[in-house]
Amino acid sequence: MIRLTDVPEDSPYTIDECKIRGFADSVLIPENEADVIEAVRSEPEITISGMRTGMCGGSVPYGGTVLSMEKFNRILGVGKDARGFYVRVQPFVTVRQLNDFIRRKEYRSLPSLTENAAEEMAADPNGFFYPVDPTELNGSLGGNIADNASGPRTFKYGPTRDWVRHVRVVLSDGYVLDIKRGDIRAKGRVLEIPFSDGIRTVELPAYEFNRRVKNVTGLFVEDDMDAVDLFIGSEGIFGVITEADLYLAPAHPLISNIVFLRRDRDAYSLSKDIRDSDVVPEFLEFFDSGSLDLIRASRKDDPRFTGMPDIPDYAKSALFFDLPMDGSLEKNYLALSVLLKRYGASLSDSWCGHELRDRERFFAFRHSVPQTIFEYVARLKGSSAPQINKMGTDMSVPLERLDEMMDSYDSVLKSYGLEYVVFGHIGNGHPHVEIILKDMDDFRKAKEAYSELAARAIELGGSPSAEHGIGKMKVSYTEMMYGPEGVAQIWNVKRTMDPEDIFNPGNMFVMDD
Amino acid sequence: MRFLVAVKQVPDTTLIDVDENGNMKREGVPSILDPYSEHAMEAALGLRREGDTVTVVTMGPPQAESALRRCLELGADEAYLLSDRAFAGADVHATARTLSAFIEKFACDCSLFLFGKQAADGDTAQVPAETAQMLGRQQFCYCTRIEHRDGGFAAVQDYGDEIRTCIVPEGSVVSVAEGNMNRGLPSIERFMKVSAMEVKTLDRIALGLGNFSVGMNGSRTRIVKSVNVRSERVGKVTDGSDPAKAAEYIRGLL
Repeated sequence: MIRLTDVPEDSPYTIDECKIRGFADSVLIPENEADVIEAVRSEPEITISGMRTGMCGGSVPYGGTVLSMEKFNRILGVGKDARGFYVRVQPFVTVRQLNDFIRRKEYRSLPSLTENAAEEMAADPNGFFYPVDPTELNGSLGGNIADNASGPRTFKYGPTRDWVRHVRVVLSDGYVLDIKRGDIRAKGRVLEIPFSDGIRTVELPAYEFNRRVKNVTGLFVEDDMDAVDLFIGSEGIFGVITEADLYLAPAHPLISNIVFLRRDRDAYSLSKDIRDSDVVPEFLEFFDSGSLDLIRASRKDDPRFTGMPDIPDYAKSALFFDLPMDGSLEKNYLALSVLLKRYGASLSDSWCGHELRDRERFFAFRHSVPQTIFEYVARLKGSSAPQINKMGTDMSVPLERLDEMMDSYDSVLKSYGLEYVVFGHIGNGHPHVEIILKDMDDFRKAKEAYSELAARAIELGGSPSAEHGIGKMKVSYTEMMYGPEGVAQIWNVKRTMDPEDIFNPGNMFVMDD
Repeated sequence: MRFLVAVKQVPDTTLIDVDENGNMKREGVPSILDPYSEHAMEAALGLRREGDTVTVVTMGPPQAESALRRCLELGADEAYLLSDRAFAGADVHATARTLSAFIEKFACDCSLFLFGKQAADGDTAQVPAETAQMLGRQQFCYCTRIEHRDGGFAAVQDYGDEIRTCIVPEGSVVSVAEGNMNRGLPSIERFMKVSAMEVKTLDRIALGLGNFSVGMNGSRTRIVKSVNVRSERVGKVTDGSDPAKAAEYIRGLL
């Protein structure tokens, strides 16, 4: 095991994508599971670290030891059970690495965990795919599991939770818990988890975990829940994941589409119409006029930006979605054509592409929006407050309340004099509202506005954190959602699972005791 | 006017890895319309005016139809797939022979015959020139721009060390080296229209070619072995504390 004891102030191990800078006494890099157990038994405080692509400071340490899982980067095997095929991964394998492995069909290079699984997978003519697309493909799968990552495809396929078959976790006393779904189930709200010294009884929180919307706020609980689910979305506060099985879905050819509309609100309404129709896209993403204008401006400087044709002048908003390229496609397009007519648009006001390289361009176009915001703000303010660029919301609401939430974004942000653009997962009632921060004053205003909007999202039956997690940045929202009693109940689980508060202190909640 | 574009389907070379023996790992790599073919398509579509048509053709296995459909999506009006087991293993000569036969029989009235400069997998850049030679038509290779001029055409050719602008007579063969940096995308409406369009398939008999004119039989080259060549720069370092000595050393290397 490698130990770095001199952790410089600007160490990459003490920062993640939220750009909060932490500090650590040492960094441990375990080579194998025995090293992880040794670290857990010897270190009083551990912050587990993967690719550090998180958005909320979950892997940012405030003292203690960083446990970097960077050596756990192998795909271990493939297997099959009644549900289908799965891949066993170590936690530092990234989403991109898994996707590339699947695309190259390298199954035979791995051991079959069940009889002939690798051969069967290699022989399948249609292939497979991992349906969770958390946008950040460089994120580690261990991190994805710890955060229950989702993304646009959650619209159809659900979040990471729905694709995890098995986890192997080093618990707080060094015991290795190796469980698959069905091995341990709660009785009501009581789970019994084995440790070295015997079974510990875990009293789960009594609150209702909101599953009607995309939600990663607080600890996931439900009656009779599976113990595997306790670790998914737990933000690493109960143990170190050293291995997991992820199910794959049968692949099917897809076509990517962008339809352009003449008003912002048309895209909201059309997305609702699509959800109410028989058309079931793989996901539904939104661009408002501000997002399209930012892309247009960036393309003036660099025509190669996004690699797409010019956005039509008339376009004030757009919807982006994939459809299966099968027998349903013509019917879906005809239904879409009828819906578009309501907004004075037609199937000619669109782009589509089905080759992999074209579909990748569509995704690059979608992902270019946050980048354009960075560039826009950089141009606006030059070198002032360079560390502050934007604040992205991560709130979800039930689809039928989305209009009200959009009105709240508009009124609250305008009341603070803040500029913003909207894009993202409109199909899940979870558009990203990116607040543009020109200076530190904007930053302060945005923080206040964010709290107001988080409260509003909860009031509308939604969640203040749909997919980014709570980490250390948003701990106040756990209490906002579940009240002090709910936080105390999470703390109670933590005390049973990790009485010495070794793992990821400061993540998900704060408890003064 | 009618424009003919000869295209090729290739593996997406940006996704190909090479194994330790230097062989391409094609498993899981999708086939695409060759990027240079796409430039030729763009050039043809740019030249097309009201009433003009663009015809595309490729030689390949049945699955090469998807490259032709991509051309139709981009705006081509009709497509021909030259497909026959006997065409397999064709080198540049046999390929040019097959395309020439097609042109003489089905497309000899075209105002221009456009090709990509080369194909991303073969990289020979020979097919356009050989086709022009077989058809007895003028050839203009490595064109970076082509436009209408004085009832005919003008093209800019880039030979690397020389750029020249030429008057291109109607009926010439042109190979296109550059195109729009952002490739086109069809609308959903166009995609649906193309789904209903037919790709005409022609075999060896339809082209009136003998068995020994096409494919492996009609080829003049054979690939016996392919070797992964790695070139390595051998650096030499000299102590520069005495500039005169160092200069002498470097002079000795020249």
